[in-house]
Amino acid sequence: MTGEHDIAPARQARIRRPSLAHRTAWGIGRNIAEVLANEELAARQGFLQRIEPRVRLLAVLLFAVTASLLHSPWSLAAMLALAATLAAASQVRVRSFMRKVWGSAGIFVILLAAPAATRLVTPGRVLVSLGALSLTVPGVLGAVTLVLRVVAAAGIALLIVWTMRWNDLLSALSQLRLPDVIVATLAMAQKQIVSLMRTVEQIHLARESRTLSAGTTAENRDWVIGRMAFVVHKSVRTADEVYDAMLARGFDGTMRLLPRDRGRARDWFYLLAALTFCAAMMALDRGALR
Amino acid sequence: MTQPNGGSVDLSRAHAHAADFVLSGVCQQYRPGVPSLVDIDLTIGCGEHLVIAGANGSGKSTLLKLLDGLVFPSAGTLTAFGAPLTEAALEDPVFRREFRSRVGFVFQEADVQLFCSNAFDELAFGPLQLGLPPDEVRERVAEVAHSLRIEKLLDRAPYTLSGGEKKRVAIGSVLTMRPHVLLMDEPTNALDPRSQVWFLEVLDEWKRNGDSVIISTHDLTVAEEIADRMIVLDEGHRVVAEGTPDEVLSQRELLLKVNLIHEHAHRHAGSGRTHTHPHAHM
Amino acid sequence: MHIPDGYLGPQTYAILDVAIIPIWGIAASKVKKSLKTRQVPLMALGAAFSFVIMMFNVPVIGGSTGHAVGATLIAVLLGPWAAVISVSIALVVQALLFGDGGITAIGANCFNMAVVMPFVGYYTYRLIAGDGARLARKVAASGVASYLAIVAASIVAGVELGIQPLIAHTASGQPLYAPYPLTVAVPAMALEHLFFFGWVEAIVTMGVVAALGRQDSALLAMKPAARPLRWLWAGLGGLVLLTPIGVLAPGTAWGEWSAGEMGSRVGFVPEGMSKVGGLWSAAIPDYAPAFIKNPLVGYLVAAVVGSALIIALAWGVAAFLTRGAADDPAELTAV
Repeated sequence: MTGEHDIAPARQARIRRPSLAHRTAWGIGRNIAEVLANEELAARQGFLQRIEPRVRLLAVLLFAVTASLLHSPWSLAAMLALAATLAAASQVRVRSFMRKVWGSAGIFVILLAAPAATRLVTPGRVLVSLGALSLTVPGVLGAVTLVLRVVAAAGIALLIVWTMRWNDLLSALSQLRLPDVIVATLAMAQKQIVSLMRTVEQIHLARESRTLSAGTTAENRDWVIGRMAFVVHKSVRTADEVYDAMLARGFDGTMRLLPRDRGRARDWFYLLAALTFCAAMMALDRGALR
Repeated sequence: MTQPNGGSVDLSRAHAHAADFVLSGVCQQYRPGVPSLVDIDLTIGCGEHLVIAGANGSGKSTLLKLLDGLVFPSAGTLTAFGAPLTEAALEDPVFRREFRSRVGFVFQEADVQLFCSNAFDELAFGPLQLGLPPDEVRERVAEVAHSLRIEKLLDRAPYTLSGGEKKRVAIGSVLTMRPHVLLMDEPTNALDPRSQVWFLEVLDEWKRNGDSVIISTHDLTVAEEIADRMIVLDEGHRVVAEGTPDEVLSQRELLLKVNLIHEHAHRHAGSGRTHTHPHAHM
Repeated sequence: MHIPDGYLGPQTYAILDVAIIPIWGIAASKVKKSLKTRQVPLMALGAAFSFVIMMFNVPVIGGSTGHAVGATLIAVLLGPWAAVISVSIALVVQALLFGDGGITAIGANCFNMAVVMPFVGYYTYRLIAGDGARLARKVAASGVASYLAIVAASIVAGVELGIQPLIAHTASGQPLYAPYPLTVAVPAMALEHLFFFGWVEAIVTMGVVAALGRQDSALLAMKPAARPLRWLWAGLGGLVLLTPIGVLAPGTAWGEWSAGEMGSRVGFVPEGMSKVGGLWSAAIPDYAPAFIKNPLVGYLVAAVVGSALIIALAWGVAAFLTRGAADDPAELTAV
């Protein structure tokens, strides 16, 4: 999902809108500001942010699985509504939530599903006659269901995105007993990602500034490759040094994290509530289709 | 490190008697044919403040890494707290834990050292790896954060910090392990003047605590301020001078030869005359 | 080729979600055993690199998205199991922290990009690069390997998407998940990667390998294979020899009908096919060079020529990228 957050006016001033130069055809998916904005949002004291990460992760998984099991467009719409409600309770504006969800995942899946609604892809009883591109009943139903499901799932995913911080993910995964090596790598990847993105941004900006001067394409390409080579080389050197730094502070292969956000009984109650909701949705779904 | 009778070396007893580090005929090379240290003989006592001076490339950083067991000699012997410091020795978990908690290393670039997602985690990483219980870890973090005045930064991700703040967090991340020996690689390099002053004050305080500090630098004012003893490495990776800062810094030709100072014609403000004398630009 | 949530039904994603877990476990234990913990910062770097590369993605109609991955690069530098971890981390971070790629589909995405890709890429690389020291050869090998690996992964992804209409639909034929059948999904994904993203992946991989080779060869020093890989060459040779068997199979491969065949099968020719079908006159149409009358020999020649062309092309790019660099990477000393 690309694009800027439209969250609250105060925040907009701080998030730098990606300039047109950034939105090249291949898109720089995110810039540093958005990463930082994510941290800000996740630090708000909303409903979801206060629930233990492990519970949050499990609940979101539960919702995602349920959404994939629902067949009726109505129940899927209900899932989407739930996601929007939870977002609002977590200090995220519903309008920006909807815009984000429909604006990226939504548009794309609509474009993708449109041909599937026609006779060409999904044969069946014709609903709207358009010759070879006639819309069929199963085609339209299939397309609508797909769109709703994808958007509902995107909404649920967004709930995590906007309330989960790197640390939360780390502690949730380590508490779920993921192997140490994986947790340690994940812990370290954040720093590398940010620094790499910064470098990519700089290369991109620098290249733009160079196109104003009379560099030949060969020169520019050589320069970009040279920059990338430098980045790679330096990153590898840094990785070695980072390992030394870890050793120097006693790293021996196992990753020990501070137990944080110990789950309160209330959090698990929320999980139970989520479970109940999903069970109800499933029942409704089967009922609606009968 | 197990002794013939099967017991582990008790470093706490060893500490009371022996020097902190003894190097004898130590050579080191990263790749065959590319030496980084040649024939180093050095004894570092308890509580000593030593400065290793030399131009870039003379091997200062390598020497520090040797002392921290991050690289190992290709010739010669090295003992720490009376016990041999070898790769095999560090594989013993008991020895490793003891050693790592006694010796802290502050790297030249703070960025290298800050690999956790926020400053709190950085400070907590060392004690956690040592196996300390969570409450004690939190206590140490609070204490160090307070003394370094970085309490407000604990929630922040390292990449959002300024250079000086990063340095403080980096130093803090080592201090929470409560080391007896602090190794610091070019600590004043990236610091602005005010932070440099702050840093020298911190060093003064450590001196009063009786901890050893071993600093590598090409900044001679640091040597003057804090060193009990000083050694100089030349571009051939050997020790060419050793003694008190006064003794070493008075050897003008030597310092010129090893590229720690230079002469050029300049004018002092208000004097109107041009002359040359050895000096370093800080 | 990220597959978002909602495109795969539970019959598909559940199997892959369950299957990926032991794979992660094995990867973790392999990495710990053979590479030791020094690889952790490098794997983190690999994850970051993969993550950044994958941000540059473009939607693929009929499939999901197309982008380069970097999985082969990491596999070549750190080994395939380390690549499993690195790319999986990049994918999980994207899904859970950035909302790219599905949550239920994590197993499928990891399987495609973090398992199929690194292993296909790694063994292809070993096959072609051998134990030789010349940098140009390594670069070429990495290019071919990464190209094949990403195409293989895209095909697997296409299959996962394409079987949805088959296995999950209502009685009235309404597809419940991804609506396009194999005949659409697989070619859509494969062609996009064959013609575009495969090249991007190859160029990125070759560029980085060449860059590392010029400056610091320690990473490129591979451990010698436990078993000689000659058997892999023999296998490839055998496959080439066996291609003419295809001539014996009656009819045309499912989905590969020409316009004429389409017309006689279905009764009409989809407009797209008749328009586009005539545009490209293959150099060796129907895998039968015009001057070779015997179809079996023709098949063989086509197979050999095809493989040789791919390898030659990669070699050419590799030579270009490594021009000026020392031939023997061991000579490069970086302190």
